[in-house]
Amino acid sequence: MNWFLRGIRRGILTEKEFPQVQWPSELHRSKEGEVKCPTDALKEDRWDPNRCIFCRACEPILSPTGRSVQAQVKRSEPSFRRSFYLYPIDVGTCGGCNLEFRLIASPQHDMTRFGIFLTNTPRHADALVVMGVMTPKMEEVLRRAYDAMPEPKLVILLGVCAVSGGILGMPPDIRGDVVIPGCPPTPESILRALVEAKSGE
Amino acid sequence: MRIIGDLGSHCLTSEGLVEGPCKYSHPTIGEGGYGSFSFLYGPSAGGLLESVAFDILTYGESIEDVRALSYKTRHIKVGGLPLRDVLFKVERINVPFAASHTIAFLTAVENALGVSPPEEVVESRIAQLELERIRNNLLVIQRLAEAASFLVPTYRLLYYVEEVNRAISRSCGHRYFLGANYLGESRCQGLHLPRIDVEELRDLLSNRIFIDRLQGNGVVKEDWAIGPAARAAGFSYDARLEVPELKYRDHGFKIVTESKGDAFSRMLVRLEEIEVSLKILEGVEVKPRRFELPLREGRGIGRVESPSGDLAYMVQVEQGSIKELHLLPPSRINILLFLRSMPENIFTDFPFNWESFGIWISEAEVSIS
Repeated sequence: MNWFLRGIRRGILTEKEFPQVQWPSELHRSKEGEVKCPTDALKEDRWDPNRCIFCRACEPILSPTGRSVQAQVKRSEPSFRRSFYLYPIDVGTCGGCNLEFRLIASPQHDMTRFGIFLTNTPRHADALVVMGVMTPKMEEVLRRAYDAMPEPKLVILLGVCAVSGGILGMPPDIRGDVVIPGCPPTPESILRALVEAKSGE
Repeated sequence: MRIIGDLGSHCLTSEGLVEGPCKYSHPTIGEGGYGSFSFLYGPSAGGLLESVAFDILTYGESIEDVRALSYKTRHIKVGGLPLRDVLFKVERINVPFAASHTIAFLTAVENALGVSPPEEVVESRIAQLELERIRNNLLVIQRLAEAASFLVPTYRLLYYVEEVNRAISRSCGHRYFLGANYLGESRCQGLHLPRIDVEELRDLLSNRIFIDRLQGNGVVKEDWAIGPAARAAGFSYDARLEVPELKYRDHGFKIVTESKGDAFSRMLVRLEEIEVSLKILEGVEVKPRRFELPLREGRGIGRVESPSGDLAYMVQVEQGSIKELHLLPPSRINILLFLRSMPENIFTDFPFNWESFGIWISEAEVSIS
């Protein structure tokens, strides 16, 4: 059958609510006890999602709530309300963030319904999506991509490696306007953060 | 005996380790004549899923030679670390192949300690490897459709990739199996099968324009090829039938082969393997299970058939810590095959040939010390 007709026959696949994911999701303390966290994400009884790699070493003292991990939107840009073009840059990923970021375009999530698009050049980008730990040869590539972008612009740090270095290295030396924790963050948490960053809502 | 690839200072073959690096036939290096020039593609460019650059020698349309340039090499330190901490790092070498990496690493550790995991753990590992294969094969075919701007199938395939991720999340807690396997433990509970209409995917084969981009593109005939690239060239190579730890023979597994060795044959193999994997999964039961790992010393090798071919670890364990660790990722071999198969093709063939190998730079360029 013609692909176009089949596409129409399948109906609308885009979702308003997404299924719950356990790992990664917000963690809460469900038992007393000592936790040996490999990334020091648990200090003085406070869980830090920006350091957590969701390795489950803290289980069952900490357990997942199923609530999507909250991103921190420090600055939003209302001029991107109608269209928000993103340029992803991988400075040293494991491939996980790349794939989850790609899946915000899947029919279930459909980023275009929120006016979010990808661009092939930083010259046309409103936001730079930085993923991975900093690797030496990507430092200059990252700086040149950032410098090539027009103003106003946002920097989005996607995944724990870009936010804090995770378990594998050091984070890129760039200030993030939007910080999306997770290892890797789910398409739902990425999409929620992007919508907030573009409209402040 | 077949060559699998370099593992530390040894060459891993289907019969075991042999001394020294593997002996590959030397490729003919293309030399540009009058009017040729070098074209740099990457490292950060639209169309590439990861950061990688290619130095392409060309006269304008035909490709004479290609070199891959490393940009995102991650240096991962594991020496002297406890097994638990090394496991967390191994899981994150290439997250799209996290089950393959973790299971190969844990098998190497168990072999080093002289332990055989219980039946339930073996079944759970088979289920994880096959779910991972289905997702990755769908992703490779999606990337091929996207390269052809064949948009409805591109998004149908992305839909299926997301459905597989959700099935994995329901079965094992995490969409990429992180934390699903632990030392002496398998945590997946119940198997949720993704609903995939394989007949719909086969309709891709009725589009002449799409097929033309793949047929005759990137022909591989090397007998040291691995995974879908080898099977597409007619070699019946598959770690699932060669490695005794995972009992694939009990599940009636049969190898899928093609004969032409081009990008189209590699896609056909991946398409058929989705169906084979779904059949294997129908006969698998997944339950969590723990078992004892003794505190011993030893050296062991673990190998699995990842979605892109043989993936192996060699470890030396002492006092519950890693003394030595060597990795053979499939993408390293597949990059060599891609670079050899590219000359004599033209620029527009490039993305189709690249995507057809299912290469992940994250595992190919990782440096472990």
